[in-house]
Amino acid sequence: MIVRRLVDGVDERLDGTSFIRHNLRKVFPDHWSFMLGELALYSFALLLLTGTFLSLFFVASPATTVYQGPYEPLQGRDVSLAYESVLRVSFEVRAGLVMRQTHHWAALVFVASMTAHLVRVFFTGAFRKPRELSWLIGVSLLVAGIGAGFTGYSLPDDLLSGTGLRIIYSAVLSIPVIGTWLAYLFFGGEFPSPELIPRLFVMHILLIPAAITGLLSAHLALVWHQTHTQFRPKGTPEATVTGTPVWPKFALKSIGLAFMTFAVLAGLGGLAQINPVWLYGPFVPYSAPSPAQPDFYAGWLEGILRLWPNWEFQLFGHTIGELFLPAVVVPGIIFTALALWPFIEARARRDTAVHHDAQRPREAPVRSGIGAAGIAFFVLLMLAGSNDVLAKYLQVEVDTLNAVLKVLLFVVPAITGLITWWICRDLARRGAAPIARPTRVEFVRNAAGGFDEGDDGGQRSAAPVPGTPTDGEAP
Amino acid sequence: MAGRANAEARVLSKVLRIGLAVAILGQIAWSFRPEPSSAQPELEAEGRALYEANCSTCHALDAGGTVNGPSLQQVGPAAVDFMLRTGRMPLANPNDQPERGEPKFSPDEIDALIAYVASIAPGGPPIPTVDVSAGDLALGSETFLDNCAGCHGAGASGDSVGGGQIAPSLYPADPREIGEAVRIGPGVMPKFGPETIDQRQLDSLAAYLEWLHDNGDEGGLQLGRVGAVAEGLVAVVVGLGILILVLRLTGAKR
Amino acid sequence: MKRAERIVAAAFLVTIISALALFVVYMRGGNTQAEGALLAIALGGVGVGLLVWAKRLMPHIRDETQPRAKAVPATEADLEATVETMESGVEEIRRRRFLSRMLLGAAGALGLAALIPIRSLGRSPGDSLLHTKWTPGAKLVTIDGTPVTASTLEIGSFTTVFPEGHEGSADSQAVLIRVEPGQLQLTEAAMAGAPDGLVAYSKICTHAGCPLGLYLAATHELRCPCHQSTFDVLDGAKPVYGPAPRPLPQLPIEIAEDGALFATGDFPAPVGPSFWELG
Repeated sequence: MIVRRLVDGVDERLDGTSFIRHNLRKVFPDHWSFMLGELALYSFALLLLTGTFLSLFFVASPATTVYQGPYEPLQGRDVSLAYESVLRVSFEVRAGLVMRQTHHWAALVFVASMTAHLVRVFFTGAFRKPRELSWLIGVSLLVAGIGAGFTGYSLPDDLLSGTGLRIIYSAVLSIPVIGTWLAYLFFGGEFPSPELIPRLFVMHILLIPAAITGLLSAHLALVWHQTHTQFRPKGTPEATVTGTPVWPKFALKSIGLAFMTFAVLAGLGGLAQINPVWLYGPFVPYSAPSPAQPDFYAGWLEGILRLWPNWEFQLFGHTIGELFLPAVVVPGIIFTALALWPFIEARARRDTAVHHDAQRPREAPVRSGIGAAGIAFFVLLMLAGSNDVLAKYLQVEVDTLNAVLKVLLFVVPAITGLITWWICRDLARRGAAPIARPTRVEFVRNAAGGFDEGDDGGQRSAAPVPGTPTDGEAP
Repeated sequence: MAGRANAEARVLSKVLRIGLAVAILGQIAWSFRPEPSSAQPELEAEGRALYEANCSTCHALDAGGTVNGPSLQQVGPAAVDFMLRTGRMPLANPNDQPERGEPKFSPDEIDALIAYVASIAPGGPPIPTVDVSAGDLALGSETFLDNCAGCHGAGASGDSVGGGQIAPSLYPADPREIGEAVRIGPGVMPKFGPETIDQRQLDSLAAYLEWLHDNGDEGGLQLGRVGAVAEGLVAVVVGLGILILVLRLTGAKR
Repeated sequence: MKRAERIVAAAFLVTIISALALFVVYMRGGNTQAEGALLAIALGGVGVGLLVWAKRLMPHIRDETQPRAKAVPATEADLEATVETMESGVEEIRRRRFLSRMLLGAAGALGLAALIPIRSLGRSPGDSLLHTKWTPGAKLVTIDGTPVTASTLEIGSFTTVFPEGHEGSADSQAVLIRVEPGQLQLTEAAMAGAPDGLVAYSKICTHAGCPLGLYLAATHELRCPCHQSTFDVLDGAKPVYGPAPRPLPQLPIEIAEDGALFATGDFPAPVGPSFWELG
């Protein structure tokens, strides 16, 4: 009754009943790897929730005060109001620490799941026409996520994150011609400027989340409108999608997944300590702690910086700083290449067709080889970024480890790529382990009151596919 | 004259008896003589024996050093105590890095060696007195972060410092060892004299490190106190890992 | 009750109980570990309940097939009509050549003007990167303002120093080290600024600007915790390992009559990582 009145009301005002019906019945394929993006989505939702809570307590001010709170080893120390507010949230606000740690764990899982999602899309060729725009938006979301994380963990103004800010400032300084100007403009003058924390705050709670929300909405709208790619089951026509209707099953599964994401992140947030800024102490520009690593999603950049040789160049009586190539140019090339990949591959294959089918990695051996090599490359860079911690645990000399990594950095990706390519070609040729799904499913009521799928042996039902042109129903 | 000879014999035996009594009493009295300051010569003698058997091969009989081991001149009792009590010395192979281990000598033997080395190589930092109860946690953490965290880690769990060296975790060290290490600068560690880290700072440093043993982990599992590396590993393996498991349990595999 | 239903009900019940427990924990002062664990259980209960319900209790409509695109794709006539609509609008503007050029000029000028406030974000670097706060005669002090004398440091020791009055200054930070007098191998001019085995260098790594927190006394090396750049203290702080491209500038110091240490001038080269105007 109520629902009928709702539908009437909407129809009278928005004329949208068929729109609602069409979209509630929209199907989505439910391969497990297609849900990785949702993990990122729900991590972001939790970031917004916990972040709002934290922003009500954080003081984005560099002004100093004397710490008088309950954490003994810092009592009497001069600290910034920003640092003090983070200590207050951690030790004096009830549920403050669990909110703060959940927020930070959510940030790490947000970037990790975006990366996993990107890898899935890459290996299944889901970025191909017509979905190049989604890919571009996705890469932008990844960059924005990394930016959000970096600005976020720099807000507490502790010794470790402040050191990280110094490194980014130096990277900007190294840009030829305009570097010093850019650095002074965006960092508010010579490092460390009192303008820095307030600016990072605005970036972190307003500009970047707004960008992410906008990009994310466009990303989801595109998936909705263009429909999701899938491993097309044998026997279904081209340009169709087969899966579970959104309402009620897919939606409920998705919401269930959201709660599982929240559960894992909250569990980590209360049980596993992350970023204990009280151990690092307040930021002072004349001290640096060790080990000094950024959050893991910048670990690859840290690796590049640690392994890069100390080359510096003079040009027309000016200096191109050593940092410029490894900290600005190389990441720029990496992300540009990543963003342009759909166009690079389409050009290389001379492929202008529209693709809605997800490929198995073996169907694109060259791409899979390149992807595997890329992953190996990033993993090695991450290892290089943690070289001092690694060396301590492996009981090896860190300088020797560096020398080994410099060689492995090129050898391992090459070998990984070649082996992957070879395996893919072999699998495809042999036709091993094909995807075999029945196109029609009979479901049988079981004793427990639920439904089980019965296997009709892959035989196609005689009924036509609703919605295809042979059916008179309007889409 | 038998009478005179008898009298002489009686006197002589009397003298002998008195002399014997004196000698016996004297021996007894002598054994109760007061010991000169903790039997230093004995301690040094014991130390000398230990030194010649265990240390002289690398550090030379006169503590002047050889190609295998540095000179011990001016190292001070603090260094000897530190190296022996933490089991870093004696070093089986001179090419090895000295590492903490089970001490090879008993506390008495260590005292003996300290005494002996002091006698052949006088000078150097004495064993510092470290009073943890007189320390101030805030001063300790500030001193630690300004001077020690760069090598030993903000969480005091140690780190590689290059050249094959590792600045060790500070958790196994007791306050006396901390004081000694600060004053002598073992291995590649620099030394900090009383002008750079004074007694109050030293007490505070030891107090803070002791406090770190059981405190500082309000957030939960400390993950080795190495920072972002461990956190990233946990986020990917545990966080994303569990969630991917959930995905595989609820999604289709084909 | 069927098994799947029991599981879902149990999961939701677990949520209710742990939510109540959360309430109790909070009222009693809160405890981070308990909060995290109970939140995980409460949220997980809903999650498990919903997932089991969706997977096991709902109709297993997994393989409904739908067309992707609209039933009727655009025809050539459609596409042409769309192009026509768009172009006719643009043509209206393009027709008036002079006005549209003026519009372009106005838009461009306004666009550039809108960027002007960005200039207010920061001051010009000027020559601020080329100087620090060290001046001739500036006394060396530690972070708490204590003057450093010739006897403060033992051989093998080091400390962080600043010019008096600028304790904690980021660009002026320097590290003072004492080595055996004969061990320094600096140029003659540099030796004049390193009396009695005491030598001071900028503490800012020339790679990416981190403070050089590690001093390996036995090998006389300053090492940076960020990317492992290593500098030889005995040889003018030349980089001997790692990505740092330039040596650390040396602060020339002298010992006053009363034993206090003072600088005889600023660093001879700009401190910290390189930039375009470095020359």
